[in-house]
Amino acid sequence: MKRVVIIGAGTGGIILANALSKKLKAEMKGGRLEIVVFDGSESHVYQPGNIDIAFRGADPKIFRRPITQLLSREVRLFKRPVSRIELDNRAVIYDSGLKMDYDYLVVATGSVAAPETIPGLAEASLNFHRSQEDARRVWEALSTFRRGRIVVLTALPHKCPPSPVEAVFLIDELMRKKGIRDEVEIAYATPYTRAYPAHGIADVVEPEMEKRGITTYTLFNIDYVDPSTKKIYSLEREELAYDLLIAIPPHRGAEVVINSGIGGEEGWIPTDKRTLKIRGLDDAYAIGDATDIPISKSGVVAHLEAITTAESIASQIHGMGKVYLYNGRINCPLEMGGRRAVFVSGTYTRQPERQNPSIAKYLMKRLFNRLYWTMLSGALEPIFNIYLGPPYDVNEGAEGVEEVSRDRPV
Amino acid sequence: MRHVVDARGSFCPGPITELIKTYRKAQPGDEIELLATDPAAKSDVAAWAAKSKNEVVEVKEEQGYIRIVIRVTPKGG
Repeated sequence: MKRVVIIGAGTGGIILANALSKKLKAEMKGGRLEIVVFDGSESHVYQPGNIDIAFRGADPKIFRRPITQLLSREVRLFKRPVSRIELDNRAVIYDSGLKMDYDYLVVATGSVAAPETIPGLAEASLNFHRSQEDARRVWEALSTFRRGRIVVLTALPHKCPPSPVEAVFLIDELMRKKGIRDEVEIAYATPYTRAYPAHGIADVVEPEMEKRGITTYTLFNIDYVDPSTKKIYSLEREELAYDLLIAIPPHRGAEVVINSGIGGEEGWIPTDKRTLKIRGLDDAYAIGDATDIPISKSGVVAHLEAITTAESIASQIHGMGKVYLYNGRINCPLEMGGRRAVFVSGTYTRQPERQNPSIAKYLMKRLFNRLYWTMLSGALEPIFNIYLGPPYDVNEGAEGVEEVSRDRPV
Repeated sequence: MRHVVDARGSFCPGPITELIKTYRKAQPGDEIELLATDPAAKSDVAAWAAKSKNEVVEVKEEQGYIRIVIRVTPKGG
């Protein structure tokens, strides 16, 4: 019997497991294949909900569900973490020494917000990326904030590129609602040259920030924070004072990846950005935040990489030999306050373009928050395919066969 | 030491993310060779290098991408 092992039940891991179990139903029914998911967490968290928790005071419970409710019944869930990945032995180790062999492995272990990697940052700042509890603490701090300077600071690398900008817009909106906007200075410190790294989106975001009196400090790469004087110092030799510091901390890969010696000291798995295979291997893939692919670490990327990987693994198991190549599509909503949003859309070959913020896009984002749980099951894939096209090109596997481009506008 | 940073295909978050990741680990005197397809890379890297007082030693248009080489100067000096 063949076995696919998936490590991690985040967005990528769950979508992949469910997609594979649909594609390989006959093999599973006939006892020729099993799909195993490892994850030590009780619940799956819809991470974009952290924005609503941190800046709207939403109840965290809305944004989490037991993993067992989200996985197809045919998938075996091991509710425990993997302690080591042995790529050379095609095995994973769990429960301090038990070993499970695999025929195909997918590492979907995500990323971790790590404020402790910058001196002073963990002590000095709050963040809404590490957990729902952290996001809740941001809401509590904002709820009691009356006067002074709030700094939203971005450090690299981090997941969800739109989230820092969404944070400043929603803080502005919150302070206006509370009637204390005149008493509160909002500053945004970013390592980029513009308020948003993709210039087409920066063209939309910057005038809006200016209009709302948000000060942007560009090319500000945090070096360290001195909590005693409440000052942030940058690698570019600048300093910035704060009364309340909300940081998007640098992220790193999962501990199991680092401990297994796969992704260097920061734990980013060396991954081919098109095939999604761990470089140098034919039976192991990495998807989502866990990879070193230079693309946004976001739910949409994890989702589309999972779909691409499911196709490749199913093709290998069916003996078809097709290779599915991720086209780098992203499509991330960016909320700008005032019930308006834009979508940051592009591929590996098409950069995100300027677009007008609209209520329709905001409503699409809100709708997606509700549809997310259904999306994990794979039930919405036919709709995504009609509107957006598949997120991959297909290489038929035989020599000399030309890649078929299916990169459609999004 | 020369670090090669292949950020081709990255528009969001873009080549600066990859550059900064490597810069944080680099030592004075090291060179970072950045490969990018984002047309904004040239101006972004020039602005970053000017502000952080690092040196851009080469900018070259290759076929379909840009190659930029930066020499790392002592940090915080």
